[in-house]
Amino acid sequence: MARTETTGSTTDFDLDGAPAAPLLEIDDLRVHFKTDHGVVKAVDGVSWHVDEGETLAIVGESGSGKSVSAMSILGLVPTPPATFPSGDIRLRGRSILKMPEKQQRKLRGKEIAMIFQDPLTALNPVFKVGDQIAEMIRTHQDVTKTVARRRVLDLLGEVGIPNPGVRINQYPHEFSGGMRQRAMIAMALANDPKVLLADEPTTALDVTIQAQIMLLLEKLRQERNTAIVLITHDLGLVASHADRINVMYAGRIVEAGSCDDVFYRPQHAYTFGLLSSLARMDKKRQSRLLPIKGVPPSLSKVPPGCPFHPRCHFATEGCVEVVPTLETVVRSEAMNGDGLHRAACIHSDQVEIAFSERLAP
Amino acid sequence: MTTPPQSGHEPDTHVPAEVLMTAFESPDPDADAVPSGQNKAKASGQLRDIWRRYKRNKLAVVGLVVVVFLMFLAILQPWITPYDPMEQNLLNTENPPSADHWFGTDSLGRDMFSAIIYGVRLAMIVGWSVMFLSLVVGLALGAIAGYRGGAIDSLIMRVTDIVLAFPALIGAILVVQIFGNGVWQVIIALAILSWPTAARLMRGSTLSLRESEYVEAARSIGASDTRIVTKHILPNAIAPTLIYSFSHIGVAVVAMASLAFLGIGIPADKPEWGRMIADAVPSLNVEGQAHMWVFPSLAIVVTTLAFAFVADGLRDSIDPKLR
Amino acid sequence: MAKFITRRLAHAVLVIIAATFLIYLGLFVLGDPFASSGEKTVPPEIQEALREKFGMNQPFFMQYLTYLQNMFTFDFGIDFEQRRDVGEMLAAAVPATARLAVIAILIEIVIGLTAGIVAAVSQYTFRDVFITIITTLGIGIPVFVIGIGLRAGLSGEWVFPAVPRSFTVETPWWQEIILPAFTLAILDAAFIARLMRGSMLEVLRADYVRTARAKGLSERKVIGKHAFRNSVIPVVTYTGVSLGVLLGGALITETIFEYQGLGFLLVRAIQQHNNPVIVPIVVFAVLTFVVLSTLVDILYAYLDPRIRLH
Repeated sequence: MARTETTGSTTDFDLDGAPAAPLLEIDDLRVHFKTDHGVVKAVDGVSWHVDEGETLAIVGESGSGKSVSAMSILGLVPTPPATFPSGDIRLRGRSILKMPEKQQRKLRGKEIAMIFQDPLTALNPVFKVGDQIAEMIRTHQDVTKTVARRRVLDLLGEVGIPNPGVRINQYPHEFSGGMRQRAMIAMALANDPKVLLADEPTTALDVTIQAQIMLLLEKLRQERNTAIVLITHDLGLVASHADRINVMYAGRIVEAGSCDDVFYRPQHAYTFGLLSSLARMDKKRQSRLLPIKGVPPSLSKVPPGCPFHPRCHFATEGCVEVVPTLETVVRSEAMNGDGLHRAACIHSDQVEIAFSERLAP
Repeated sequence: MTTPPQSGHEPDTHVPAEVLMTAFESPDPDADAVPSGQNKAKASGQLRDIWRRYKRNKLAVVGLVVVVFLMFLAILQPWITPYDPMEQNLLNTENPPSADHWFGTDSLGRDMFSAIIYGVRLAMIVGWSVMFLSLVVGLALGAIAGYRGGAIDSLIMRVTDIVLAFPALIGAILVVQIFGNGVWQVIIALAILSWPTAARLMRGSTLSLRESEYVEAARSIGASDTRIVTKHILPNAIAPTLIYSFSHIGVAVVAMASLAFLGIGIPADKPEWGRMIADAVPSLNVEGQAHMWVFPSLAIVVTTLAFAFVADGLRDSIDPKLR
Repeated sequence: MAKFITRRLAHAVLVIIAATFLIYLGLFVLGDPFASSGEKTVPPEIQEALREKFGMNQPFFMQYLTYLQNMFTFDFGIDFEQRRDVGEMLAAAVPATARLAVIAILIEIVIGLTAGIVAAVSQYTFRDVFITIITTLGIGIPVFVIGIGLRAGLSGEWVFPAVPRSFTVETPWWQEIILPAFTLAILDAAFIARLMRGSMLEVLRADYVRTARAKGLSERKVIGKHAFRNSVIPVVTYTGVSLGVLLGGALITETIFEYQGLGFLLVRAIQQHNNPVIVPIVVFAVLTFVVLSTLVDILYAYLDPRIRLH
């Protein structure tokens, strides 16, 4: 690395130092848990990156490893039982995993912030909402209580909480679900982070509130140029808000690409299954919904070959023999071949044809 | 909808293509219903699961062995004790342990070993009786209060409030003062003081189950209240109360011994550990007479620890969530 | 909040009234408390005076009111044993018991909380296992065994006064209180340690602790502020109730160490069927217990804002 090592002062982490490196990059990350029932490979060789002003969606069922990969970015995965057998997480080219704990802590909440699924349990019930946000500010910035309080009021207003002057002194349970998530977002934004990790940010909320929260995130991304990593199982949410999508299954990425590619030209049987089980509003005639049979495999006993084959409609013997790797999709025609669409499925041709038949009126 | 058990999908077996082709068909509507004939199998499977989890706790296994051993001693006491535990021998008092008297003799020349084995019998009788009484009363009143609600609930809860307003030892003393000394009086006194907690636990779990969807479902198909309570609520709500009552056996034994230590409850002619320790107090600082309090103390500590280990093991294995 | 406190206080008053009635019913109505019993003989003139005092010639309800009035005006009459004024006996014993209770509680809070937190944050390590073993023993060994053991081993040694007490040597109160206070504190300290460990472990799994870590707080702040504030709530409840029990007299411990408090008085009175002493002490014990439990409930609501609103 070209830059000299830090000399121990506080925020000597120059985020604009190496413009060539992506803002946040995960490289061949593996997170394994040692349990009584064997090694659980929660994340097993995952790579992705995200840049300023971009929204990357990570989609998968529960237990697919999508949350664990996000939590390891913030060092929230307890070790032990977790181990990191390989891989790296880099912020502007600098490895977070290899950083000493104290330095990592300076990034948490400052450069990378996170919002969680259930805002009721994610906020501490015994402290006032305003104090919890102010704590976020005062942990990373040397400001007085009064200054912090003024900023909290601004933030509450910015995320659309009416009556900030009253709300700042209330406890989490006095907020409604949507308001709590807004407060969480205000907390996450308090130090103007470069990356916002949103782990199922709308799952616990009513449908109407979900849209509001997503619009709020969208607005903040545009205004602040924040990179957003949106972790969700909700494909509908992804369709309208993400630039790129990673589909995860059993701890691995099985398909990655732009929204259009993944939604209209899926190459992996699992993505096909997800899309076929989803009601679509963008089509006049709804084709019959097809649920995916079965449940995701236990991560301590991942099936050999393609982990999806026991549930797969397209599976053949070949699927059991080799673990398919993520290959760039080669397009015969000149349609949108940006080289970013990748899938790990040996039957991707059949999947694409089957899907276009479903799409056809 | 319940999560299917892990063994339900064997990922290793190769699935034939025809089966795979039907994989995306709409799910079988009966897939989640448990066939009625499997209820028994499911219950015994549950017991096996509990035992499997229980075995993992080594202390609990040790505790169980000790408890079984104590029960054995209690039942066989008349044939085990080398001397009549109540037989006095004023020529042979306060003797340290010897070949004739393994645990020595007490201030009236009684054989300490025999007395302590007799104490096991007393402790088991009192402990299990208190558990049984408070469990039955607690389950019944708790289930009624929780399921019926309204006035009867308020009444039962106010009664528990009043009983629980007495610090345990003082409450027990008071009851024994009223009924007089005796083994059954002590059992009644301790049961009176312990049923309210059992009833409250049972009421709590009944309340939460009363509103649950499967009870609503049973009600919607016209099941009677008795059937709902005995078939649907009791089996699911019983765990916390059962665990409490079991852990209370050790507490009851200590309470009995505490009362006896203060000269209350168990009559003086029955060898009881607490009373033996109290009898040893005048010669506490006398050289060579530690056996008079050490052996009964060990007996009571072993008993309470064994029951505590078993109770812990039961709690962790029956309902891991309670931990 | 005001409504909650009012309701809780009203409830406490009702419970106290019912409990005192039970005590009255038990000790006065079921059996003549003033009759000579066993080897005890009560002089006829005292029997007569007491019947007069407690209005035993009057109708049942009036008798009860007289008893209540006597209790709450601290007019307890004279005891059977030494014919002393019971009020004066209690006035000497209450401060001694209170001092013992408070010191024991302080010891158990310090030891219990520290051990519980250390065990929780180092779960599954040697330290955790060690603390768990010690607390298991502390809970499993009855108070009178601990007391007898401490008395047999330590009384008369070093600074600890000999038991039975010598009436010719004046011992400073702190010397007299050490052994009984530790005897009392051991059980509760073990219990608090367990409670704190369990509740801390649960809280450490909570989402808001994860949030606190995600904020970049130091582990010290995560544990000491966010986790502690939530996990200490059950300990506060337990400690309050335990103080309520101890203030009513530590029967066993005071007896073992011949510590001149309420418990010592009560045990002796029970052995001598000395009703004029038994009744006020039991009433006092129930009273402090209920009052402390009520205060704990109110404190609980203060500590947990979720309760406060309802």
